Amino acid sequence: MQFELTEEQELVKANMREFCEKYVEPVANEIDYEARFPAENIRRLAEQDMLGIPYPEEYGGAGSDYLTYVMTVEELARACAATGFLVETNTSLVCFSLYKYGSEDQKKKYLAPLCKGDALGAFALGERGLAGDAATTTAVSDGDGYVLNGVKTFVMNAPVAGIFVVFADVAKSGGAGGPSAFIVSADTPGLEVGKPLDKMGARGAPSSEVVLKDCRIPKENLLGQEGQGAVIAGASLDSGRIGIAALALGIAQAALEESVRHSKERVQFGQAICNFQAIQWMIANMGTEIEVCRYLTYYAAWCYDQGLPYSEEAAIAKLMASETAVHQSDRAVQIHGGIGTVKGQKVERLYRDAKITQIHGGTPEFTKMIIADCVLG
Amino acid sequence: MLKILTCFKWVLDEADIKVDAGSRKLIFDRAGHKISAYDRNAVEEAMNLQQQHGASVAAVTVAPPTAKNCLKDVLSRGPEKAYFINDQSFADLEPAQTGDLLAAAIRGKIEFDLIICGEGSSDLYTQQVGPILAENLGISCAAFVNKVTYVEAENRIIVDRKLDDGIETVSLPLPALITVLPDINTPRIPSLKQVLGAAKKPVDNITLDKLGEIPKPRLQTTGILAATMERRRLKFGAKPEDIGALINALLKDGVIA
Repeated sequence: MQFELTEEQELVKANMREFCEKYVEPVANEIDYEARFPAENIRRLAEQDMLGIPYPEEYGGAGSDYLTYVMTVEELARACAATGFLVETNTSLVCFSLYKYGSEDQKKKYLAPLCKGDALGAFALGERGLAGDAATTTAVSDGDGYVLNGVKTFVMNAPVAGIFVVFADVAKSGGAGGPSAFIVSADTPGLEVGKPLDKMGARGAPSSEVVLKDCRIPKENLLGQEGQGAVIAGASLDSGRIGIAALALGIAQAALEESVRHSKERVQFGQAICNFQAIQWMIANMGTEIEVCRYLTYYAAWCYDQGLPYSEEAAIAKLMASETAVHQSDRAVQIHGGIGTVKGQKVERLYRDAKITQIHGGTPEFTKMIIADCVLG
Repeated sequence: MLKILTCFKWVLDEADIKVDAGSRKLIFDRAGHKISAYDRNAVEEAMNLQQQHGASVAAVTVAPPTAKNCLKDVLSRGPEKAYFINDQSFADLEPAQTGDLLAAAIRGKIEFDLIICGEGSSDLYTQQVGPILAENLGISCAAFVNKVTYVEAENRIIVDRKLDDGIETVSLPLPALITVLPDINTPRIPSLKQVLGAAKKPVDNITLDKLGEIPKPRLQTTGILAATMERRRLKFGAKPEDIGALINALLKDGVIA
C-alpha cells in the first residue's frame, strides 16, 4: 500500500491552500452574507487550471487525477464551501456526464468550455416531490430534435450556468424512449432559470428552479442513448459523491482548526479552555473522525483513478464525511460558546454550510441503500 | 538573450517546527520543507524579466540528495531547467561553503548574465551567500534590491536598493548578481499545468566529485534552543543601590556571568 501523495499532489495541495488563503478566505464571509456568486475567484480558478482537473487536456482539462481534484475541493471548502460547491457541481457532475457519455463533438463543444472555465455547468435532475427521478419532465422527439417540458428543482449553479445537463423522459413509442439526458445551452429559447433560492448554507453557490417550456433542442444534444438517463445520472452521482465527501471534509477540517485556535485563546476559570479535558476530548474526537473521513475519501478517489469500481467506496466516504461535517461544525460552535452563534464568526457559517452535504448528491438514507446493496451482495 | 540563474534554498517550513516545552529543544520530525520565502521572490523576478525581455532562466541550489522534491517545486514556478548541486554532506552548510560550492559549479561551466538570489534565507538569514558568490565569481553585486530594470542596449541593469535611510539607485554592468527583497514582487501561484509540466523539465545533477574539495566549516553550532519570554515581574529603580540589585538578579538567572 502506498499512502504517500506524489510530489505533484503535494505541490498542488500547497498551492491550493495558498490560493484559498489569498483569494477565497478573505471574501468568504461577504459571499455568504450577500449570497454573492464569486465570479472573480471562479475566473482565477480557471486560470489555475482548476475547473477540469481530472479530464484530459484535449478537452480543456488539466490531465490530472481525481485524487488531486478531490484535494483541491477539500481546500476550497475549508475556506469557502460555496466556492467548493460551484466547482464540484461543475466538475464532478456535469463534466463527468459529458466526459463518460458524450460524443467527440459534444465533448469539444460542451466539455471543453466547462473545463476551461468559459462556462459553468448545472445538473438539472431533481424535481418537486420526486428526488432522483426524471419522471415528469418530458422530451418529445419531432424527428430533428426534442421538445422539453417540465420543472427541475434545486439545480445548483443554475443562475450562473452556461451549460445544463437536463434529465427528461422520452415517451416509449417505437423508439427506445425512457429517462434520458440532454445537453441544453443556457441561451436556448424555452429554458428559464428561476430566482435564486434564499439558502441556509453554501449561499454563494446559487440554486434555483429550471423551467423548460417547449424548449427545443437539436437531436445532436441527446447525451448518450435514449433510455440511458438513469445510468448517466447514477454514474455521475457516484463520482459526485466523492466530490461531496471532499467538500464535507474541508468543512470539518475548518471546524477543527477554528476550534483549536479558539480553545487556545479563550481563557475561562483561569486558563485556556484547551487545558480542560472536556474540550480536549471533543478535539480528540474531531481529529480522529476527520482522519477517518480523509482516508475514506482519498481511497474512493484512488479507486476511481485506478479504474476500479468505486460506487460503494464513494457512498461510504460521502455518508461518513457529511455526517462528520455536520457533527463537527456543531461541536465547533459549542466550543466557541455564545460567540459561535454570531454572524462573522467562521463557525457560524460552517454550521450552516455543513448540512447540505448530507442531502445534496444522495441523502444518508439513499447512500445506505447503495452500501447495503454492495455489502449484502 | 539574457541568461539568468536564480539561486534558491530548500528550508524547513517554520510553521511545522514544534518546541519541547521542558527542554526548549526544537522538534523537526513533522516539519515539511519549502523554498525559502525570499527565494520565491528571486525566481519570480527572473520570470518577470523573462516575460519582459525573453530571457532564459535556470534555477540552482546546493542541497543534500534527500532534498530532490525541491526541483519540481522550483521548476513549476517557471525556470526551464534546474541545477541540483548535491551531496550527502551538504546538510547544514555555512554560507561561505554554499557560496564556494555555487561558484565551483558555475565558474566556467554555466553561462550567465545575471544571478538573482533572495536577500537571505528564512532559516539562518545570514544574508551572505549572494555577496560571497559574487566575490567568488568576480562580478558586480547589489544587495537589498527592490526594483530591477534591464537596459538591453547597454548590457547593464539599473536597480533600486532599499536601505535604512532611503532608496539608492545603482547601475551595474552585466554579468552581475543581485539579492532581492520580498517587496520586489508578489510571487504567482503556479497553475496545475505548470506543476504537471515540471516533471518534463531537465535537471542537471552536479555531484561533489565534479566540484573538488568541500570548503571547511569555520563555525561550530553549540546548541539550538527556542527563545522564550518569561515575565519575572520584578521592578528596579535607577538609584545606585538599585543597580546592584539588578545585577544580582541577572547573575542569579545566569543571564550574565
